[in-house]
Amino acid sequence: MSSSSAPSSVASRLEEGIPAPAPPRAKSKKTWWSWGLLVPVLVFFILMNVIPTIWMLGLSFYNYTLTSAGDPQFIGMDNYTQLAGAGPLWLSLGRTFTFMVLAVAIQTVLGAVVGYLFWKSNKVPGRRLALTLLFTPMILTPLSSGLFWRLMLDPVFGVINYFVELVGLEKIDFTTDATLAFPAVLVVDSWMWIPFMALMTLAALGSVPKAELEAAQVDNLSFWQRLVHVIIPAGKFIIILGILLRTIDVFKTMDLVYLMTNGGPGDRTELIAVALYRLAFKSFNLGYSSALAVLLLFIAIALTSIYLFVLNLRSRREAENA
Amino acid sequence: MVAALAAVGLASTAVLAGCSSGDDGASGTDDPAASDDGGNDSENLNEDGGGETCADNPENPLCGSSDTNMQGKSIEFGYSRIGGWPPSSAPEAMWPAFQSYAKETYGYDVSDLAFAEAPFGELFQKIAPTLASGSNEFNLMIVDSQWLGALSEPGWIVKADDVFSLNPELDIEPYSSLVTNTYQVYPDGSGQRWGFPQMPDTQGVFLRKDWLEDPANQAAFKDATGKDLPTTYEEYENILMDDFLEIVDFFNDPSGGVYGTALMYSKEYDFFSCAYYPFAYSTGGEIWNPETNDVYGILNSEVNAAAMEKFVGLQDYQPETFATQGIGDMIDLFTQGRAFSAFQWLAVGAFMHNPEAPEGGVASPDQYLAIPLPKFEGPDGDANIIGAMGGQPWVINSFNDDDQMRVSVDFLKWWYLPETQDVFILDNGGLPWSKEGAANPAYADIPYLKPFLYMLGEGRSQDFWHLPEYSEMLAVQQEAFNGYATGTVSSAAEALDYSAAKQQEILFNAGRTTVAPPEGTAGRTLQ
Repeated sequence: MSSSSAPSSVASRLEEGIPAPAPPRAKSKKTWWSWGLLVPVLVFFILMNVIPTIWMLGLSFYNYTLTSAGDPQFIGMDNYTQLAGAGPLWLSLGRTFTFMVLAVAIQTVLGAVVGYLFWKSNKVPGRRLALTLLFTPMILTPLSSGLFWRLMLDPVFGVINYFVELVGLEKIDFTTDATLAFPAVLVVDSWMWIPFMALMTLAALGSVPKAELEAAQVDNLSFWQRLVHVIIPAGKFIIILGILLRTIDVFKTMDLVYLMTNGGPGDRTELIAVALYRLAFKSFNLGYSSALAVLLLFIAIALTSIYLFVLNLRSRREAENA
Repeated sequence: MVAALAAVGLASTAVLAGCSSGDDGASGTDDPAASDDGGNDSENLNEDGGGETCADNPENPLCGSSDTNMQGKSIEFGYSRIGGWPPSSAPEAMWPAFQSYAKETYGYDVSDLAFAEAPFGELFQKIAPTLASGSNEFNLMIVDSQWLGALSEPGWIVKADDVFSLNPELDIEPYSSLVTNTYQVYPDGSGQRWGFPQMPDTQGVFLRKDWLEDPANQAAFKDATGKDLPTTYEEYENILMDDFLEIVDFFNDPSGGVYGTALMYSKEYDFFSCAYYPFAYSTGGEIWNPETNDVYGILNSEVNAAAMEKFVGLQDYQPETFATQGIGDMIDLFTQGRAFSAFQWLAVGAFMHNPEAPEGGVASPDQYLAIPLPKFEGPDGDANIIGAMGGQPWVINSFNDDDQMRVSVDFLKWWYLPETQDVFILDNGGLPWSKEGAANPAYADIPYLKPFLYMLGEGRSQDFWHLPEYSEMLAVQQEAFNGYATGTVSSAAEALDYSAAKQQEILFNAGRTTVAPPEGTAGRTLQ
């Protein structure tokens, strides 16, 4: 029946002036075109991501130091076993999680405050310029930020200690003092990334339906009621994404620390990415450092999975609402 | 997914089995480095020579160019150097003279000198991966003496002995065995030479001569201590550390922004270690056993702990930033008039004055006096000094093609010509390392030559490990030692014990020693 009705259906559509659907050949062309666009990205991804990752995974089962004369020796899980007992590395990892939690918390709270202030000041002249300036730290490379902060914090000729002395205090050795170095790095990282969280907050606030805000105003809801019942429910996905992106990024912090403190004093600011860098590119212990990199990769994958889960959650919610 | 990835990773092991520098380090057909022994073809070249001289076989690339074999050719050439270390930049400044020499002597054109540079701590990272891939990007390299093992064991550099056997004129008599042991030999004590001395270096102290000669200072010192203030080199050559510190203390005035002295405590590269070693060596301390490659029980000695306490205790005479001080800080503090003295590498003597120094600074070499390191009471009660060796050798890339190899040898022949050394030493801040160079009267006016040669005397300085594991070992102790200086490690004994245990572990894992580290070393942290 369908085979007999189909031609008549096409004929009737033609009579009605409705164009017939594209023939299968056209669809095939479209598919090829899509693949044509996709292939360069895939090739790049495979060459630059997949193969090196697999290579790294393989290397993690070898005893291989670049500067030794011997060939790589297959040692199975030995690198991982050694990793499990490596106290300094676990200490670095613990320090990294502490840094991550503190940095993300500070940046989220202060970023939210700054973002809200900008949102409420949309009629203030110069807002755009202020926004541009606010985002400057975020677009600087961590290397340059680390360098000029190190110079500014220098106890001998740093400008910050100049002001410290002006107010009658003793110079502070921010980057080499055992108790101050870690907070100093934390402050600089926050200086760099609070703007990002402010931006996410602005985006979140922008996603709140105007009608709901107006309704809340008509209902005379207090600030906290509006925040809890209107703003957070509508903007939370964007804020959570911001938090997750920062979490993943902070976990990888290396260049800022390397420039500011070189992991010191002692090992007080040695985050896990700095430790990995030393193992791989100072000691050239490629097998062992690959094992550590694999471990960090899995941690990063776990964090990314949360990110993807949140994204999917939002899609599912939107689908349900629709 | 994890299991699948692991399976794929394991599958890649077949590919990895062929990734060593030894197997695929050199694949070019005309690459003289292609050999079975890990890429280094110098042995093959020597075998080709079969004991012959260059007169018998002038085509051997390690002979350098002959009158005919390079005629009319154009060669691209490059070297690697240590950024921020002026003596290693000199070859670039002197390169036009070599270009003329090559053209006139051998008839070939050589390109402007390409170079890559990185600071001490990073240069090895720059050159090691390129050499591991069999690259001849850097035909000649200025490297630190600690890297000889890491560069020679994988076969990345040419054995200098092979060049010397073919070119005896390059085998120049050194000022002392320190030159050979530091810049040339690996493994220690083997007599096998890999490097060609480029810039020799020893440690000394720069003092404000103008302050010492100030009658007001002399009178005040006499009043304060009842002693005369020493002012001449001769008076300082054998001065004891405690007597020297009395003078340092006299000039120390932190409230006036002037400090008694400055030493290096930075975590960067080997800065802390090299500044500390003289305190340990001179009082009878050792850092390892080079014959057995054992560290534990040697580095973590009471003598070394006392030496470190003394070394770090000198912070009382230094700026608050003492724990981050490096070579550049020594130069700045001294030339800007903020420190009476600076313990410094003598190879940077040319930079210990600055014509543009502010008032009170060191604008002229006449204002300072360079002396050897002060002496300590040695283990046998005598005044004793053993400093750390600095300086760098040249090494030749094994992966050079024949023409580049010839140019490398030609360059070294030119570099060691007396007239070239004159330009290097008199115009570019170099120092002599050969017996002949040290006796050259033309160099006598160099204000830091005397202490340099004194410290280069037999037994007055010593270098440390040349093993491929040097980088790992150094990172461990720099972190621990610096940790003690900054207060994150409780005691000098703890810093030394931690370092000794970790270094023993590194050497044990690398198969350099049969003595295992103490139990629990792997999990041990600095806290």
